[in-house]
Amino acid sequence: MNRVQNTKLVLWIVTGFAAAVGLNRFIFGLGATTNLTDSTPWGLWIGFDVMGGVALAGGGFVMTAIFYIMKREEFQPFVKPAVLTAFLGYLAVIFGLMFDLGLPWNIWHMIVYWNPHSPLFEVGWCVMLYTGVLLLEFSPVPLENYSRYAKIRNFLMKFRFLFILLGIMLSTLHQSSLGSLFLIMPFKLHPLWYSNILPVQFFISAIALGLMMVSLESLVSHWLYRREPETDLVAKLGKAAVWVLAVYFIVKMVDIILSGDFAMIADGSWEIYIFLTEILISIFIPIIIFAVPRFRKNNKAQWIGSFMVVFGMVFNRINVGGLTMLSVTGDSYTPSWMEITISLGVISAAALVFLFAIEKFNIWELKPHDPESLPHTAPSFDYSSRVWLGTPGVSSLTKYSLAFIMSFAIGMALMPEKKLYGKGIEDIKVSRASGKDTLLINGNRDDNFVEFPHKEHKTRMGEDQCTKCHHLTLPKYQENSCWECHTSMYKPVDFFNHEWHGSDEGANIKCKDCHTAGVIRNIESAKQCVDCHPKYKFSALVNNNLKKYYTLSYTDALHKLCVSCHTLKSMELINKQKLAQCTTCHKSELPEKLNADLKWATTLPHFNSVILPVIDLETNKRDN
Amino acid sequence: MSKAILTDITKCIGCLKCVSACKETNNLEMDVPRIWQKNDGLSSENWTSIIQKPDKHYVRKQCRHCLEPACVTACPVGALYKTKEGAVVYDSDKCLGCRYCMMACPFGIPRYDWDEPVPYVRKCILCYDKLKDGNQPACTEICPEGATIFGERKELIITAHCKIKENPGRYINKVWGEHEVGGTSVLYLSDIDLGFLSYQTHIGNKPLPETTAPAMESVPYAFIGMGGFMLGLNWIIRRRMELNKKQVKKEEPSDE
Repeated sequence: MNRVQNTKLVLWIVTGFAAAVGLNRFIFGLGATTNLTDSTPWGLWIGFDVMGGVALAGGGFVMTAIFYIMKREEFQPFVKPAVLTAFLGYLAVIFGLMFDLGLPWNIWHMIVYWNPHSPLFEVGWCVMLYTGVLLLEFSPVPLENYSRYAKIRNFLMKFRFLFILLGIMLSTLHQSSLGSLFLIMPFKLHPLWYSNILPVQFFISAIALGLMMVSLESLVSHWLYRREPETDLVAKLGKAAVWVLAVYFIVKMVDIILSGDFAMIADGSWEIYIFLTEILISIFIPIIIFAVPRFRKNNKAQWIGSFMVVFGMVFNRINVGGLTMLSVTGDSYTPSWMEITISLGVISAAALVFLFAIEKFNIWELKPHDPESLPHTAPSFDYSSRVWLGTPGVSSLTKYSLAFIMSFAIGMALMPEKKLYGKGIEDIKVSRASGKDTLLINGNRDDNFVEFPHKEHKTRMGEDQCTKCHHLTLPKYQENSCWECHTSMYKPVDFFNHEWHGSDEGANIKCKDCHTAGVIRNIESAKQCVDCHPKYKFSALVNNNLKKYYTLSYTDALHKLCVSCHTLKSMELINKQKLAQCTTCHKSELPEKLNADLKWATTLPHFNSVILPVIDLETNKRDN
Repeated sequence: MSKAILTDITKCIGCLKCVSACKETNNLEMDVPRIWQKNDGLSSENWTSIIQKPDKHYVRKQCRHCLEPACVTACPVGALYKTKEGAVVYDSDKCLGCRYCMMACPFGIPRYDWDEPVPYVRKCILCYDKLKDGNQPACTEICPEGATIFGERKELIITAHCKIKENPGRYINKVWGEHEVGGTSVLYLSDIDLGFLSYQTHIGNKPLPETTAPAMESVPYAFIGMGGFMLGLNWIIRRRMELNKKQVKKEEPSDE
């Protein structure tokens, strides 16, 4: 029975870890825990937990239809576990949704405020109603254990057929409405997946997935409790799945050919490979496995086949649910480890409840021996620690709660501080130039990199000057920015347009043409204007000022509000040319006292630190 | 009654006054580049932005206020709705944060407060408070060049077509937003292709709510149809089983 206990231990560890992450999700918000962005607002939690979870729960309606409606009595051992899986699956979906919704405490709004045009409204109502119906379908099983609830149980059993019928009807709607959700996104979803009959495709694939999910679940639980696998029944389900998968394949292919997207197969984009993989895993290989009688009745082939369908169909849900939209939205989304942890945690919690129910209630004809409830006479020791952990029931409880608490603590400790306190401010991308010490800094987020020679900085500043940029008390990402030392990075415009001189369209001269090589590149180390423009005659005053007086470029200096100056200020001024001088406005005043129209711009942090010196325009004398 | 905004790309000088006026009117905070932002300048604190395109083209991006909005159809609780003035507005009290509106929008407009523990969907609401009192939105009010103007939608479309005729060669002969996805309340005149404002360059004239309407209309039929089909199947199978039993009983004595 070690197998069950070890599995449970792992599940408890994952659940504890996820609980820590989940707590942080509610304290710090979605941005701190997920990698979701404005262009990818739905991620793993919708694509896998909700879309995949509902599809996995499809086993419930498929099995009840086979057993109660089609009267195939031989599938009786599969019915109760399938209904239980469906019920737990839906609870897991709702539970997982609680993390994904921005305002989960408003989920009841779906009952009060109606928008019947919305596919999500249909989805929401189906989830609510079907979960209720599943509860009614399943509750007779645990009620068996309590004789005082016999009346309720009998009442429920009387209406069982009605519940079953209602459950199948609601499932039909729900499985298909998950497809309808994506009908409104014809421009985002890749044409190979987008289809006008997406709801129908979802429904058919849910049937196949339901059949295989029941098989897989039977295989796993029988392996776990060391039982004889139900090979014959699984083989029968596999035979049925072949037909459903074939129908699904034909529907899908006909739709793609009719909509004229088939030619896309040849265009070689990454979506094509995903599409082919999906078809191969979810349709082709399982059909081959379950169509050949020799494989169909082989336990290992059954494992592979049913796992492939389950995996492939969930993969399909993820593809539709956002993966194939990435090339259109131009976003690169990979789920954060916290998203993955919560997804795994929800599944683990559901699996724990499943194992609990299997051990406690009459879900199988022969209840598995519960290792924790066996009568014990002799105390058993934990040989690693030489401590008696109590009777088996108590000892496993101790172990599980210890595992839960420890992993909860580890999860808490692993929360990245940057995500939580940095509030997601974008890092400036720094990468290493290949084969060099130089770092490349993508300051403007436009993939035009600035070189940062780290070694040169070290040698020039001295080995002991690391703290000028790196602060040991501050996290790594709060190093000094370049401009904090290179204050002359601003482009002087009154006399010299730096950008034009450097750009390809302009003078197209290299840095080293003006700045002496090997010396810090600033205005001191640069050539004088007259060196290149011998005809220009500058007064000594201008030349001196050029070295001392730097200012921002026009668009930066005027705070990108050209018009506030040109419409308002120009009315006040007689000599309109003065507008070109910053000092016309900046009369050595602090930014707070600036014109109200400029005030908004001065809230930008780095403008506050620039207080310009005043130059008297008449005399051109600098006034310190 | 439906109001609209007409933006003339050729007139815009990129002064960003509309952006600052929008921030002031809607009490939006300063914006810092965040990892979850798209690089088009829109964010939960920036409801309109200027996209710079080559050759001094400045394109103002904002909510298009579609005549048949996909986001309104998508919202399961009706937190987004189109007013009779033409604005698509948001009721934060109803919202449950599913972000389906963000998925549905063909222009990628709605933004989310990702860094808040209590997040809301944020987007341009055409300054609905001002609109109700008969005033125009802050952005059109402040525009110094008259590049973005406010008025009745029908009149603006006529104005736009007149402008195209009067200035041959200045514009591409198309009013962006007149027909796309059923028409939008924010129109553009331009001399460059504005296909980059939506997820696909050609988004067609079919309103997006029409794509889900057939599926939603067939819901009751699917529901009842499935129930009927299951009941029928059950009846046939039971009947056949009964007949089989009878046959077996009949056959049994004859065998003896």
